[in-house]
Amino acid sequence: MTKAYSRFLTAMFCLFLGGVLVWHIVLPDRDRSDVENRTLEQWPEFSWEALKDGSFTAGVEAYFADQFPLRDQWTVVKARAEQLIGKTEFNDIYLCDDPLYGSGTLISKVPEPDLDLVDKNLSYVDRLQDKTSATVHLGLIPSAAEVWKDLLPAGAPSWDQQAFLEQAADLGLPMVDFHTALTEHAEEYIFYRTDHHWTTRGAYYGYTALMEALGRGDEVRDISSYGVETVTDDFNGTLYSTSGIHWLEPDYMQFWVGEDGLSITSWRSGKAEPAELYDRSYLEAKDKYSSFLGGNQPLCVIENAAGEGKVLLVRDSYSDALAPFLAQDFAEVHLMDLRYYRGGVAAYAEEHGIENIVVLQSIPNFITDRNLVFLAQ
Amino acid sequence: MVFSSLTFLFAYMTITLALYFVSPLKWRNFVLLMVSLFFYGWGEPVYITIMFVSIMIDYTHGLLVEKYRANDKLARYFVGQSVVFNLLLLGFFKYWDFFADNLLLLGITLPENLTLFGNTIALRNIPLPIGISFFTFQTMSYTIDVYRKDAPAQRNIVNFGAFVTMFPQLIAGPIVKYKTVARELDHRVNTTEEFAAGVQRFCVGFAKKVLLANSIGALWDAQLAAGQAGSLTVVGGWMGLLAYGFQIYFDFSGYSDMAIGLGHMLGFTFEENFNYPYCASSVTDFWRRWHMSMTSWFREYLYIPLGGNRGGTAKALRNILIVWFCTGFWHGASWNFILWGLYFAAWLILEKYVMKNVLAKTPAVLKHLYTLIVVFVGWGLFAMENLGVCGRYLAACFGNAPLWSAVDGYTIRSYAITFLALIVASTALGKWVWEKLPERVQQIAVPVLVVISLLIGTAYLVDGSYNPFLYFRF
Repeated sequence: MTKAYSRFLTAMFCLFLGGVLVWHIVLPDRDRSDVENRTLEQWPEFSWEALKDGSFTAGVEAYFADQFPLRDQWTVVKARAEQLIGKTEFNDIYLCDDPLYGSGTLISKVPEPDLDLVDKNLSYVDRLQDKTSATVHLGLIPSAAEVWKDLLPAGAPSWDQQAFLEQAADLGLPMVDFHTALTEHAEEYIFYRTDHHWTTRGAYYGYTALMEALGRGDEVRDISSYGVETVTDDFNGTLYSTSGIHWLEPDYMQFWVGEDGLSITSWRSGKAEPAELYDRSYLEAKDKYSSFLGGNQPLCVIENAAGEGKVLLVRDSYSDALAPFLAQDFAEVHLMDLRYYRGGVAAYAEEHGIENIVVLQSIPNFITDRNLVFLAQ
Repeated sequence: MVFSSLTFLFAYMTITLALYFVSPLKWRNFVLLMVSLFFYGWGEPVYITIMFVSIMIDYTHGLLVEKYRANDKLARYFVGQSVVFNLLLLGFFKYWDFFADNLLLLGITLPENLTLFGNTIALRNIPLPIGISFFTFQTMSYTIDVYRKDAPAQRNIVNFGAFVTMFPQLIAGPIVKYKTVARELDHRVNTTEEFAAGVQRFCVGFAKKVLLANSIGALWDAQLAAGQAGSLTVVGGWMGLLAYGFQIYFDFSGYSDMAIGLGHMLGFTFEENFNYPYCASSVTDFWRRWHMSMTSWFREYLYIPLGGNRGGTAKALRNILIVWFCTGFWHGASWNFILWGLYFAAWLILEKYVMKNVLAKTPAVLKHLYTLIVVFVGWGLFAMENLGVCGRYLAACFGNAPLWSAVDGYTIRSYAITFLALIVASTALGKWVWEKLPERVQQIAVPVLVVISLLIGTAYLVDGSYNPFLYFRF
């Protein structure tokens, strides 16, 4: 190595390290990341106590990583590098061929859950039925890893949701057959490519299964009767964020049901306030799926003077896309989220004269949720 | 703070190198001491006191050994005292829980607390000070080297402190023997050539750790989980062992490369720690190529003082068993590590006394295969502290499981290129090709490779800190 060449290498190395450091310092700190949908770490406050227990230095390291320049872009570089060496799995998300569009679709792997928790969660549903005079329906929605399992890379592991549905059926409670309703239409655009939720079309097939289970299958409206409004064609969902795969065609999102005749009350802030079926402000943000009913909330009631009957959905976010369909037929659709609502399911049903309770959850959520214990209270 | 973290790479290392090189030559050991103490205190703010005590005691003992050299008995006494101090330090922080747990099984209860001057200190579940296994061994080498006249005692406490705390090798080696850096501590020259060589070595290590070790580690985790869930297959079991063996090699040798590279940047020459261990042609040969700074430490400061292989077969056998018991135990305070050490003692004894003639006649391919199987099964013992888990896993590898499943096919397809890269990187093939390249090509390739390893490595580190919050969970 000549002196000049050594100088060149040394300078290159130091400029890279120093350049990134200076960039990091000069770059203004961000409060939150839309792609990650969370607040980012800020510079920790110094105290001798925090230094002694290690939380100060840990905080600095978290700050340094969270505020790193071009944070989102680095994950794309990593995903591309992994793709180059033949990987099809990116942070527990499979990149699969997409027969509909050809650009590929992302499917979240369902890891082996804690089987004790699974048994417990099923037993809480059973105990809810013991406590209430309303009929409890078990509506477990299989995720894309089950419905689209033919698209997964050959041999790719994912927990067997079909076997779980058979286990759940042994409880003897009425089941909503989402599995059949979705697999019959597996060739259609029923899950987003870049998000783990079902599309409005998927939710429509879910609605038909739910109406069937509630004994009102004959009232189901025909798919051609809806006025389809495409509200965005630029939706990049959670799977886009987690996988680092940012090169797929963005999803489009549709609203099929209008708001006419509906009156919506939300307990988002703890007290009743009027709300809307679609919060269109989310369409301008990253988290577009939250435009359905405005996203997570403890309790939401949709009333329709022209409808008939009352139903309580013990919800997760999948319910938000399905509820607009139900609201056309029911006088009252109640959506309760056990992660925030602690008033008791049976007591609520009795107070409001509800005949049917549907535990409506996606399977990946149901098998990992630690709040279902509140079903039995 | 590990080397393969964004904070180390872009903040600590950058600022440290800047401070070091703007300082005048005679201040550099002081700067090195300060930044190393900062490095240590970053992860262990309280344990920095151990560093101070350790520096003071070993520094004093080095001087005492030299002062009383004429009186051999007294000099030996001081060497002994320093060794005992270091072993007590290691014994207390690393092995107390192990001793207490095992003595409890024999019905002996060790005290849970210690009251000194009115302060009660809990003795159980004390967090292990990072790097304690390494720096206690380094400081022991110091007093012994001084006694053996392999190096003069260090009179300058700053220089000595810089040796003990030097951040490149502080937390994961290589174990730097005092005599190998004694001269450079006092007089060293920093040249651009050496710095540039250090840059290349550092980037090799960084790529090994972040790109190779971390990515294959996920495969081992998956197989270990499959073992516990009872869904492991024979093929999956061996893939897991292979993955773990590659992970530990590239993790550890990557770390050593980064340390050696940093040493060059700062003007120190550390001894090599690995020499293509998976190309070994026998188990004996493997241990001449794996973690060489540790094996040579045990040879020089334990095996030879015990008498080595002089004094008859019985004594040699005893010495091998002692050394490998200690080697295993040094790796961790758990029975599986002791077992792992003795497992190798058994193979080394077999090779030395039983298989010698057989091995001499065995074709090279078979010798390599035999060595790899012994070593990788050994990794199974090393990786699984719970002997029940370990037993079930190894039983699956040796046929107590279905041969193969569809998931294995997926795993092989996903990791084929990674495995290929790992195998090539474990051999001297890359080096051989490199040396055949014309100098002109090398000169263009080096900066390109340096930049690629830094860029892709950074991408993996950022991705590792990426933690999207999924809105369907809360």
